[in-house]
Amino acid sequence: MTLIRPLVLGLGAAAVFAGAMISDAAAFERRGDQKILVFASRQKVPILDPSIKYDASIRTMQQAVYDALLKYTGTPPEYVPWLAERWDVSEDGLTYTFHLVKNARFHNGDPVTAEAVRWSYARTLQLGKGPAWMLNAFLKAENIKAIDDHTVSMTLDRPYAPFLSFVPWWYVMNPAEVMANEVDGDMGQKWLIENEAGSGPFRLRRNEPGNLIELERVQDYWRGFKGPLGGIIYKIIRESAAQRAALVKGEADIVTGLTPDEFEAVSRMEGMVTSTAPALTAFGLKFNTKAEYTSDINVRKAISWAYDYDAFVKIFNGRAKLQTSPFTDDIKGKITVPGMPHQDLAKAKEFLAKSPWPDGGFEIEYVYVQGFEVERQMGLVLIDALQKLNISVNMVPLTWANMVARGSKVETSPQLMAIFATPVSTDPDAVASQYHPSAWGRYYGTHYYDNKEVHALIEEARYLSNWEERQPIYEEIQRRLVDDQPEIFGMMRERMIVYRDWVKGFEYSPVRMTSELDLYPLYIGK
Amino acid sequence: MLSFALRRTLWMGVMLVGLLAITFSISHIAPGDPAALAAGPDATREMIELIRTEHGLDRPLPVQFALYLGNILQGNWGVSINTRHAVWDDLVRFFPATFELVVFSILLAAGIGIPLGVLAAVRQNTWTDHAIRVVTVGGVALPMFWLGLMIQLALALHLGWFPLGGRMDMMTDPVAPITHLLLIDTLLHGAFGTFVECLHHIVLPAAALSVPALASIIRVNRAEMLETLKQDYVVNARAQGLSTFRIVAIYALRNAMLPTMAMVGLRFGWMLGGTVLVETVFDWPGIGLYAVESAINSDFEPIMGATIVLGFFFMMTNLVIDLIYAMLDPRVRNQI
Repeated sequence: MTLIRPLVLGLGAAAVFAGAMISDAAAFERRGDQKILVFASRQKVPILDPSIKYDASIRTMQQAVYDALLKYTGTPPEYVPWLAERWDVSEDGLTYTFHLVKNARFHNGDPVTAEAVRWSYARTLQLGKGPAWMLNAFLKAENIKAIDDHTVSMTLDRPYAPFLSFVPWWYVMNPAEVMANEVDGDMGQKWLIENEAGSGPFRLRRNEPGNLIELERVQDYWRGFKGPLGGIIYKIIRESAAQRAALVKGEADIVTGLTPDEFEAVSRMEGMVTSTAPALTAFGLKFNTKAEYTSDINVRKAISWAYDYDAFVKIFNGRAKLQTSPFTDDIKGKITVPGMPHQDLAKAKEFLAKSPWPDGGFEIEYVYVQGFEVERQMGLVLIDALQKLNISVNMVPLTWANMVARGSKVETSPQLMAIFATPVSTDPDAVASQYHPSAWGRYYGTHYYDNKEVHALIEEARYLSNWEERQPIYEEIQRRLVDDQPEIFGMMRERMIVYRDWVKGFEYSPVRMTSELDLYPLYIGK
Repeated sequence: MLSFALRRTLWMGVMLVGLLAITFSISHIAPGDPAALAAGPDATREMIELIRTEHGLDRPLPVQFALYLGNILQGNWGVSINTRHAVWDDLVRFFPATFELVVFSILLAAGIGIPLGVLAAVRQNTWTDHAIRVVTVGGVALPMFWLGLMIQLALALHLGWFPLGGRMDMMTDPVAPITHLLLIDTLLHGAFGTFVECLHHIVLPAAALSVPALASIIRVNRAEMLETLKQDYVVNARAQGLSTFRIVAIYALRNAMLPTMAMVGLRFGWMLGGTVLVETVFDWPGIGLYAVESAINSDFEPIMGATIVLGFFFMMTNLVIDLIYAMLDPRVRNQI
């Protein structure tokens, strides 16, 4: 008894102390009198060079420190003038002329000129990495001309309708600064890994690879800002539970990448704001259309009609929307395709009866990302659904590296592979091209879908510049894809982003990848 | 003694080359394609091949291995295909963080484990002994990842006594590196406030990492102490009227320490290679995370670099233990 009383008193005092600690800690960071916003993400940013690589985290940083001629904003996403205040397209659809704003400056004070734009595009095309694939089949470096200080023209080899939709991902670098740091003719590649030479709203203050990146706002940024902020810290927090803890404790102000359960828990807390809109990303189970069993259209249809589609939504606690077309909702020209499969066992059996294996009795392989719980659960749903067709499923978890390697060859690509695919632009070609032979072997092309008529339609639509001509072709492509069922078309998962209520200016655009954010409009309004 | 040390050092060199050969083979036999991953999700075949050629991955494996060894001997540790960072720069950046964490953890484990082992032996089959046994069984059985999360939630989030993760506060600018060991560098720079901050940050990850070692040290130390306390010279010391503290702390403990120190050494080596879970939970930018992320991306040169460094330090630890054993027990010197 004599021991219990001080123990209880001690614990009580500790709890009061802890409560005080938490309430004190739950506020944004400051550097001097400047407010600093902390963005906690699970993914590191290994490279900043816009010519070399992009992914969700890299592009978050690239668009914070660099500007492009155009920029994606809003829902549905649209590209708006940025470094280019306007542009003209020649009547033949070959030449694009961009007129640059006159007040844009790089972080070292140099003006952003047409020559800088020409050099940046030429550098990316010459190095042949990162975003080069978007334009290198249609644009040659020698066909980019700086007409005067603020006018640059680009002449394509042939009309290419999606051209402008890629321009927002091509960032403009300061050639003088980059070339001053060139080593052995590398065009500044080594230097740009951890440094920047941009004109964007933030400049790099600190880069601690594997830990954090600190950005400082360029207070005289040529486009100005909506609200006050000193800078942003991009903090890598790899564990979802630790991310949640950081958000609750106030060590992070905005978080992406929480698991569905963590997200639900944190979104109910006071002072938290959530953003939960569907993205362009589609989740599907890709068939290998050349593999044993799944090369048969009736088997593919049977599996597609047996799958429990509601499970897609349930696994994400309702934060997902089923696809009604192979194109996701914000893709231009998307239609609701009649005859999209839903769970109908009778129909599934009907299709299986038309295959060489009317009674099932075979096994298919389902490959998913090791440790990715939602994809594992989808596999379990698949097992349950196909049991009724007497088809067994071998679930194989692989690391992403091994999945990509398996999918890169038609002989090794598994019969079913769980894939999240984000189209790089809003142009329908960005989705349609995933079903073109040029996609074979890439992670979203593990279906090896081979329908020459559809491929011809994809190519035809790509090179037309008139939308009225393109639109019916894309409608036909969507219908034909559903007919041929190269995958179980799944769902659009909502992006789950949480931030503290003092974070203002958040703008969502579904064109961004999972955990990619536009940091420019953010500020702290407390 | 000198010839024993030379023989062991020679063996260490052979083992290191063997370790490299095995790691190289395993990492290259695995099906991942690092060039495809490095090129990005939308890369064309030409872009992938360009990266493959740039990094020499298009050459036969024996040629790649020979070139790699040649480069290592010239001090060139290669470049990560995924991050394009020089591997040596990465190792210098990440290994000291892990080394610092492991040294702190092992000091914690030994500093607490040895006295608890002694206490459990001295109070054998009492409540004290049973309570300590619970700690040892729990320490071995609890998954480190779970334990890390729990102490993070309890002591950092709810009680607010410690930071959630990282090596220092986000807003603190790091001191210029001298040794890359933050605790040492902050002292060398006279930045005592930052030193305290770093110390504050290392406590939780070190505590989580030290628990399995703590349990092992307690168990070994307890068992050895029990054996030692039954020895005739201890009985004699008691009969001579020496104080219990003097018997236990001065005579018995010294003799029980040899296996305990061996366990401390072994645990130190194991810890160096097993920090990844704690580094993940506490966002400790160390070599464990670096090695695992490289392995996930099939990024060969960082995998090899991390293997060399971790293997070298593991072998060095074993060498030091062997030398201590040999110094204390001449019979060991003739075994190898």
